[in-house]
Amino acid sequence: MGKRIFLMLAAVCVLLTSCGHNQKDEQKTSIRIGISLYRGDDTFINNIRSEIEDKAKEYERENGIKVTLDIQDAKGSQNTQNNQVERFISLGCDVICVNPVDRMEASGMIEKAMAAKVPVVFFNRQPVEEDMNRWENLYYIGVDAKETAILQGQMVVDMYREKPEAVDLNGDGVVNYVLLEGESSHQDSLIRTEWSIRSLKDGEVPIEKITGGIANWERSQASALMEQWLIQYPDTIELVISNNDDMALGAIEALERAEITDVNVIGIDGTTPGLEAVKSGKMLGTVSSNKEIYASAILELAAGCALGKETPKEYPLVDGTYYWTPQEIIVLEDSDK
Amino acid sequence: MIGKKGKLLLFCYMIFLVVLFLMCSTDLIIREPEQEVYQIAVIIEDASDNNYSNFRKGMDQAAVELNADVRFITLYEKLEPDQQIEFIMREQQDGADALIVAPVDEQKLFDALSQKQITVPTVLLGSGLAGEEIIGSISSDYKKMGQELTSQMLRQMPQDAEVIILSEQKKRSMAGEDFRLGITQELGRNGCAYQTIYCSENIYLKESLQKAMDSGKRHIVILTESPEILTQTAAAAAEDSNFMESICGIYGRGSTTAILNYLDRGFITGTCAVDEFGMGYYSVCMAVKELEGLEGGKALRMDYQYIEKEDLRKKEYEKMLFPIE
Repeated sequence: MGKRIFLMLAAVCVLLTSCGHNQKDEQKTSIRIGISLYRGDDTFINNIRSEIEDKAKEYERENGIKVTLDIQDAKGSQNTQNNQVERFISLGCDVICVNPVDRMEASGMIEKAMAAKVPVVFFNRQPVEEDMNRWENLYYIGVDAKETAILQGQMVVDMYREKPEAVDLNGDGVVNYVLLEGESSHQDSLIRTEWSIRSLKDGEVPIEKITGGIANWERSQASALMEQWLIQYPDTIELVISNNDDMALGAIEALERAEITDVNVIGIDGTTPGLEAVKSGKMLGTVSSNKEIYASAILELAAGCALGKETPKEYPLVDGTYYWTPQEIIVLEDSDK
Repeated sequence: MIGKKGKLLLFCYMIFLVVLFLMCSTDLIIREPEQEVYQIAVIIEDASDNNYSNFRKGMDQAAVELNADVRFITLYEKLEPDQQIEFIMREQQDGADALIVAPVDEQKLFDALSQKQITVPTVLLGSGLAGEEIIGSISSDYKKMGQELTSQMLRQMPQDAEVIILSEQKKRSMAGEDFRLGITQELGRNGCAYQTIYCSENIYLKESLQKAMDSGKRHIVILTESPEILTQTAAAAAEDSNFMESICGIYGRGSTTAILNYLDRGFITGTCAVDEFGMGYYSVCMAVKELEGLEGGKALRMDYQYIEKEDLRKKEYEKMLFPIE
């Protein structure tokens, strides 16, 4: 009798397991990806968003898998972003891509995603390592901020070595610079500032900081700061080092208003307006991440997670979690890239 | 000491508690009202959502308020009618409860609707198409809009100015078609000569200006047919200040952030704008009302406004131009 019951139970178990297996093997024909952006009006983020949309269409056409993107703007509010993530989960998104508002506050979103077993691909703003280590289905795609900053510094070093008078405008042997910084809470802001200056010093460019300020990645704030500095330090500023292109463009606006044309301005991101400014000679150069690869990595990784596939080989993950997008220096001759 | 009877009572009481717990947890006693989430697919005529940012805000707002799940879909190629029909069918097959469509080709869509290929409630955007199969439509009078814009332009431009219409090389959207008709009718009515320059992917503002200058005119007024061309023209003018010396006006339609920015900076003289946030919001409302069996279907005509730089900060236009979700 006992043997019989045991056999029956075993048969039921086998049946249940095989049912589950069949469900898993069923091929998905559509995937849904929820994307929450920290701020939709950020030029760089907007560029990435457009690229992701294009890549989703490409993916759909190539693989015959319908890709639905739910893109939401958190407008700089972590609370709004938390609600958006919750809504993505309740709408049945297969995977969520988050450009966090506050990188220190990712744990709430991670908890919700873990409970619902929905993988999360973070991008552009890197959550703290402690959070990223909480689950194996958490990923981060971004650029190596240190590499960005070194390339930014290198741009000036190369120019100084080739033609010192183009950087040291008054020929006094010192390059006087001002610094425009992004948000103080953003990891890239701190690293970009530190390594950009260190790279200039290592390259033996004789630099001296006049002043600096936080413009929160924003063009208008940078423009206002620059305007103020031009009044405070007339005929002194030779170089503007900016943590991103938007702030560099703000500084250029202020310089144009003051009818100053010879100050060198360098940015980071390679946004569309940034590249245009390089092309027109208004900006000395920028460091551009390859946005096509950036967006592709986000989409391919998200799609892979949604379909339960292995991570794509084209985008090798460091420690199984991080993918660093390649970047390059863009100066006048290659601004058409 | 508990007696046999007491033990039995305690046992029954425990059983009662367990049953009560099970009934509560399985919604047998307290049943929470089930709110259905309606699946709505919005399929536009364009390959990008650049001109739909305020529309999307309204759409998202309505989706949250009415608990709808709205999917916004752009085409692979702009103004491809077959692709749009294909996407409509796909969404219907994937379980969309209602559709909101900005038709590329009204006739093709009407055929699909009348042949019962499309069976879910459908709301149309920017189209005057009517029929049993269509539960509602939201549009603006684009022909009148074209007339209004042209009459404003004629009022302001110098008499010796040359009028240039920058037009789409490819097929126009339904709204674009009506808008152009309004422009040309108004120009004809006023006996104003014009030349049309067709733009390819990159607008050839320089070439068009050169052409106009070659014809001996010192002043040029530019009328643009679509928000994309208006944005690109303003961008080209902003990039090269020499253009603005001979251009005495750039006019068009649309109220995207870029257009409003150029208007504020003085590179666009005037634009006609519609409450796109409202269009997005009401289109979702119409679809949900129909799905709930309430009366929601009707033809809604949205007002348009002619806006110039000084109007940007007027309170009356704030909600239309800068909607807050």
